[in-house]
Amino acid sequence: MWEVMFWPIVVCVLLPWLLVYLGLHVVRRGIIFIDIAMAQMASLGICVAVLLHLRLDGWPAFAIALGFTLLGAAIFSVTGKRSSQIPQEAVIGISYVVAAAAAVLLLSRAAEGDEEIKNMLVGNILLVSPLDVWKCFALFLLVGIVHFLLRRTFLLVSFDRDAAYERGWRVRWWDFLFYALFGLVVTSFVRIAGVLLIFSYLIVPAVCGINLADSLGKRFLIGCLVALIGGIGGLFLSFQWDLPSGAAIVCTFGVLLVLLGAIGIWRRCSASG
Amino acid sequence: MKPNSLTKTTAAICLCLTTALTAQARINVVATLPDFGAVAREIGGNNVDVTVLAKPTEDPHFVDARPSFVVKLRAADVLIDGGAELEIGWLPPLLQNARNSKIEVGRPGRVQASQGIRLMEVPAQLTRAAGDVHATGNPHFMVDPIIAKAVAAHIANAFAAVDPAQAAEYRTNEQKFETTINARLQEWGAKLLPYRGQSLVAYHDSWPYFGHRFGFNVSVFLEPKPGIPPSPSHLAEVIAQMKAQKIKAIIVEPYHNRKIAEKVAQSTGAKVVDFAQFPGALPGTDNYVQLINKLVNNLAAALK
Repeated sequence: MWEVMFWPIVVCVLLPWLLVYLGLHVVRRGIIFIDIAMAQMASLGICVAVLLHLRLDGWPAFAIALGFTLLGAAIFSVTGKRSSQIPQEAVIGISYVVAAAAAVLLLSRAAEGDEEIKNMLVGNILLVSPLDVWKCFALFLLVGIVHFLLRRTFLLVSFDRDAAYERGWRVRWWDFLFYALFGLVVTSFVRIAGVLLIFSYLIVPAVCGINLADSLGKRFLIGCLVALIGGIGGLFLSFQWDLPSGAAIVCTFGVLLVLLGAIGIWRRCSASG
Repeated sequence: MKPNSLTKTTAAICLCLTTALTAQARINVVATLPDFGAVAREIGGNNVDVTVLAKPTEDPHFVDARPSFVVKLRAADVLIDGGAELEIGWLPPLLQNARNSKIEVGRPGRVQASQGIRLMEVPAQLTRAAGDVHATGNPHFMVDPIIAKAVAAHIANAFAAVDPAQAAEYRTNEQKFETTINARLQEWGAKLLPYRGQSLVAYHDSWPYFGHRFGFNVSVFLEPKPGIPPSPSHLAEVIAQMKAQKIKAIIVEPYHNRKIAEKVAQSTGAKVVDFAQFPGALPGTDNYVQLINKLVNNLAAALK
């Protein structure tokens, strides 16, 4: 088991902390599907690279994908108005479907089968290469440092937008920076682990943390713990019963969420009664 | 412990040991796709343990990796793959993770089935504009029984090299396979003879070898380009072509969208024929010969 599952376990230990932290922001902002929309923007970029007959693993293709991710960041920061009739989630949903449909249109013109593209965009955690893990970890560290240095700003912008506006901050620019960093994290993790996993890692630990604790620090710690248990537990089950690894982790997360939710309800009941 | 039960226990232990030893002696064979696996079983008989990675009903271009794939590849003495890029989307990362030098390309434990076979439809120049084209040529070659004989010979050679003690048996089994194919080829050819020269429509371009062998022209496809889903204008063009050429059958594989084929069939009066490249994908096709037999019968029934 060790030989096969070593690198997947490394992924589940080294990478989720940043996703858990960003997940707290994302859940607080109420923009649950932004990761999928961002990943789709990046894949639209790859489709453009295909149309231009570029090598998909080269720098130009990466730059185009990055450009599209930044475009997504720009769209989401411009549309995230202080008060609006249209919820941010609607814009995210629209961006997702339009990007997905545009990808279908581009591919039908580019006439490249989706084997390679699918392979390029959506990784399988079981088959990660050590180099990819280290590259992704380095990027996560960098983004983590930026988030640590600017933590006060980002936290205020995510958790208390009115206060941020009252202080006269350029909230949209901070939003743009947040989304741009977020896009980088999402696209690099999706290439390692796939869309199902990034979504679960962002949302489930954050929801568990919010359910069980009040302070940001405690929520983050609970989230990291949930991410670790879910990831490693899921990998173990995947090996034991020979299941696709990503899906096994996601379902383990689902079970954990139900269990922790039950604990939360029980605690609240016993506290009030 | 009574003497009687002691003898029984000893006997049981001996039995266990012998099974363990014979199990040890069997060579571990991994085949990427069920067609290679089926032929490997016929050549290897009881001397080999064959594991097939892709399911017969799975699209061979996309296979979902599971942990056991890596475990099996690590323990493999022989790996049989197509060697023609059909598995390019999923085999290389698996091999990278398995790190088994016995099955590296060039070692006796690696059979690349397409070696020494003249592949059809080799692109004159490689551009992405032509769609999801495989650089080495069309990789769906196993449905030509004569090519399958050549692949069987490759496999027998590899088994003999890895397990010289049983070499004679592998050769005998290969001969047997060849004789069966030769005998059936006559029968199959006779069944399809009345329809020789007709054109067929296929969902995906996986049947040039079958067409070449049995005298059909499979050059109209529901996919506008390999791997691209059918567009309305392309389907309209296909329908027009089918009417002009009086095409009577549309070949569909289990993992293709049968509804599209049925719709086209409705507007042209053609029949949808269930085809499969892999033994086990259609009922009653456990081995290679049964599969080809089924394909021949299904096609003959549809064209009648």
